[in-house]
Amino acid sequence: MAQLHKEQFKEIVERFVELKDTSELMMDLAYSSLLLNRKDLAEEVQELEEHVDELHTEFELLVLSSGFKPEESKDFLGLIRLGVVTEKIADAAAEIAEVVLRGIEPHPVLKIAIEEAEETVTRVQVAENSPLANKTLKQAQIPSETGMWVLAIRRGKKLIRPKPSTKIEAGDVLIASGYAKGEEDLEKLAAP
Amino acid sequence: MPRLEKIEYKPIPVRELLVEMKNLSELMIDLAYSAALFNDKELAEDVLELENRVDTLAYLLEMEIMIAARDSEDAEALTGVSMVASAADKISDAAADIAAIVLRNIGMHPIVSEVFEKVEERLTRTRVNEDSIFIRKQIGELDLAARMGVDVIAIRRDKDWIIDPKEAERIKRGDVLIARGAPSGIKEFKELAEGKLRKLED
Repeated sequence: MAQLHKEQFKEIVERFVELKDTSELMMDLAYSSLLLNRKDLAEEVQELEEHVDELHTEFELLVLSSGFKPEESKDFLGLIRLGVVTEKIADAAAEIAEVVLRGIEPHPVLKIAIEEAEETVTRVQVAENSPLANKTLKQAQIPSETGMWVLAIRRGKKLIRPKPSTKIEAGDVLIASGYAKGEEDLEKLAAP
Repeated sequence: MPRLEKIEYKPIPVRELLVEMKNLSELMIDLAYSAALFNDKELAEDVLELENRVDTLAYLLEMEIMIAARDSEDAEALTGVSMVASAADKISDAAADIAAIVLRNIGMHPIVSEVFEKVEERLTRTRVNEDSIFIRKQIGELDLAARMGVDVIAIRRDKDWIIDPKEAERIKRGDVLIARGAPSGIKEFKELAEGKLRKLED
């Protein structure tokens, strides 16, 4: 019985981590969309928001249907609350993206502030003739080639959490973070 | 109820206020998740303190924005600034909500922490072992951000947390480090702290 319990927790925690990572990815993307005044990044944030809504519902259902005992309900309330927080973060990110999508020209001070604060996040689509196509992330060596880290891969509607063994396909959108200089290098690599 | 202080206008550049708000809100989120998942009350209290700071910054920023807007064009352009500030404020509120989970004893099932440490790849808590090459090194000289995309966001030394440690901070044996970053970097970082990996790669 105890063993089964642990398996259930594993699934719940995995779902939570996915939610958490996606909502943080949205924040990074949202700031970058504003910094670079790029609507494509802002649209990506909006799409991810829908994705987070779905993930959140699935997560809540999973927690609620886990068959916890009454004396455990507090522990499970903690999990539910964590889920709510990720949703709040996702909403905040979507609001930032909305500024870009509404065509509000970002005030220069925003650019300076975001540039100073952190590195940027960008997205690039992998072309058919890219040396990245059909390579695993491990083989592709993107961090050492460009200084950029792949945070997520969008394949059609799906968002994939990158693992070293994940194979990059032509048409994939790589969402990556790093310093501005690496962005150009990554673009050249993805779409030569 | 804690007494709320009156916030008086101070001439601080919008840029500075915004950078601090953004950085603090992001830091708070990771600290708050750590507090919840590792069930750490002191860390949760630090998060609430930072939340107060962000609130103050939000007021000051709002005042600056009002002063800066002289015409309709300014107002339009500054709307974006205001939205970003409000988003950062919301995020810091969300972090405080997480901290409250810990402080109000809602808590987290012990198995959750155990599983979380295995599943989570972007946030880690790790103790500096006696074999670690980190010992006596300054955070800045390790250059973890450039090397492996990792940031140390808090150090627990004896009973206290050092939040957002400065570059000059020296790591000591037995320190507990909370770090965030890219999964591959986090793995390397953990091995370095535990002394399993003894060399810093360039």
